[in-house]
Amino acid sequence: MTSDGSAQILDRGYRKFDGRRKGVWGAVRSTAWHTTRSVLGLGRKARHKIAPALVIIVAMLPAVVFVGAAILLGGEEFIEEFLVGIVPEYSELARQSIAAMILFTGLVAPEALVRDRRDGMLALYLSTPLTRQTYLAAKVLSVSGLMALIVLVPTIVYLFGLTFASLGPDGVGDWMIVLVRILVSGTLASVVYAIISMGAASLTDRRAFASLSVVLTMLGSLIVVQILVDAADMSTQWRLLDPVNMPMEMIARIFGDPGQYPEVAAERVYGANLGWSAAACGVLWARYRRAGA
Amino acid sequence: MMSPVSVIAASGVSMVFGSHRALDALTLEVPPGVTGLVGANGAGKTTLMSIVLGLRTPTSGSVSVLGLDPLRQGAELRANVGYGPERNVFPDDMPASDFVKHLAEVRGMPRSEARSRASDALWLVGLGEERFRALGTMSTGQRQRVKLAQAIAADPSLVLLDEPTDGLDPVQRDEMLALIRQISTDYRIDVLLSSHLLEEVERICDNVVALDAGRLVAQGPLKDLVGDVEGVTVELAEIDDVPGAVEAVVARLTAAGLRVEREPQSVRMDVLGASADDIADTVRDAIADCGARVRRIEQRRRRLEDLFEAAAR
Repeated sequence: MTSDGSAQILDRGYRKFDGRRKGVWGAVRSTAWHTTRSVLGLGRKARHKIAPALVIIVAMLPAVVFVGAAILLGGEEFIEEFLVGIVPEYSELARQSIAAMILFTGLVAPEALVRDRRDGMLALYLSTPLTRQTYLAAKVLSVSGLMALIVLVPTIVYLFGLTFASLGPDGVGDWMIVLVRILVSGTLASVVYAIISMGAASLTDRRAFASLSVVLTMLGSLIVVQILVDAADMSTQWRLLDPVNMPMEMIARIFGDPGQYPEVAAERVYGANLGWSAAACGVLWARYRRAGA
Repeated sequence: MMSPVSVIAASGVSMVFGSHRALDALTLEVPPGVTGLVGANGAGKTTLMSIVLGLRTPTSGSVSVLGLDPLRQGAELRANVGYGPERNVFPDDMPASDFVKHLAEVRGMPRSEARSRASDALWLVGLGEERFRALGTMSTGQRQRVKLAQAIAADPSLVLLDEPTDGLDPVQRDEMLALIRQISTDYRIDVLLSSHLLEEVERICDNVVALDAGRLVAQGPLKDLVGDVEGVTVELAEIDDVPGAVEAVVARLTAAGLRVEREPQSVRMDVLGASADDIADTVRDAIADCGARVRRIEQRRRRLEDLFEAAAR
């Protein structure tokens, strides 16, 4: 309060905006960031944080165990005696995050789409510079970004940990090649998982059913493929229809490793990932082309 | 952005869903100010709003909004348009300020600007003290205000409001209508207000677009479409002791050279053919002479209902 008692509440009223608007890319970024916060439960009640926290723990566990063992129990003798030979390749470590991926696609990713359809945000988003395509792009950006973290962070922690324990790549050149492969393969696999899970989640407006739809699409296809190939002794090429393992197989091929299914050619693995992504995009578009109008 | 003479201009717009024609060759112009888009449920109001926002492609015809084509320049257009949907469902666990800020950001505001404008908009609609409350804990009236706040927070040139008084009690409705009027008068934001309540449109709108089953019933300034017109409206009361009194009054007025428009057997009639004062005097004398009882005599007035009734005939 001023000493002469002349203080007043500042009424700013309604102000015109003369600045430059951020445009479509700004709208995509803002929606993606908002979705990321929502999916992670940030700014929401504690119960919304449980599932993402569980996924992060499951994703980080293998890397933390190996790196922790190398560093804490360390010493060259321990490394030579116990770790050399059992430390997984980078692509194998990425495969360790498959459980976290399935948890994420089933429990967390459906939240990105279902919530907007349920609580009326979709109609509001479509009244902004976002179109149906750019809205979906924002959602894919958010979910694949989070999935990339699940794959990339443990693998990068692993790379740094092994480097610290003198088990990493030799020389700066090799080290950079491994890093680039981790980034490229992890990002591609994350986009494929994100699109497949969102395509499956878009089939319903109920969160629980969306989770079920994602799990059935991922694990159902995996089980069918395993029955066809392993039990019915059909062609190993049927493995291309397995949406859980194909992105991981793509990571292995990018690292130049034979992967889990060396009998399937690398080109077909890339093609299968492309095919799954295209099919999921088709489902997404079919579900959203008239939504919110 | 340029300031077009018409905020919205539609030419021959039709929208067909299967065998249902939601809009039928609609040609209209919405001038600046508050415009009421009126019509019964199913008249095509929401479909027209979707087309204005560029969310639907009309089967035929063209639309221009703020001088832009909603289909080809939709993103640019929607950055300058606020929208309050009819549906009253929100993310329940989100604070009102976060909700308004997020939508202001998506409409193009920089983050810090969006934050301050969200706060300002919520103060303007009377929710300043409640702005950090979760939307799920708010009443219907407060939620309608939040919808209005998010529609104006990004400084739009045009606001589309779909049934903004839905679910409000009379006091809340009056306050909401006053706010909408304030948005246009004080902040120079044009408003297209969709409503099936003709009375509220008559109260605050400058212009009217009336739709019935997808067809245009009337459009233009409210003062030209409703208000006082020539003649006097008379409503009599039936009296059991004096049967035929109403018919006798009608006969007396006709004999006096006045024109009486009346539905058969109705006690309500419009009397034309002289000045309002002369008609009122003649009516008074006729009622007294015939022993009839009057319920009301007033200057004849055209209401929005009359436009729809005329279209139905």
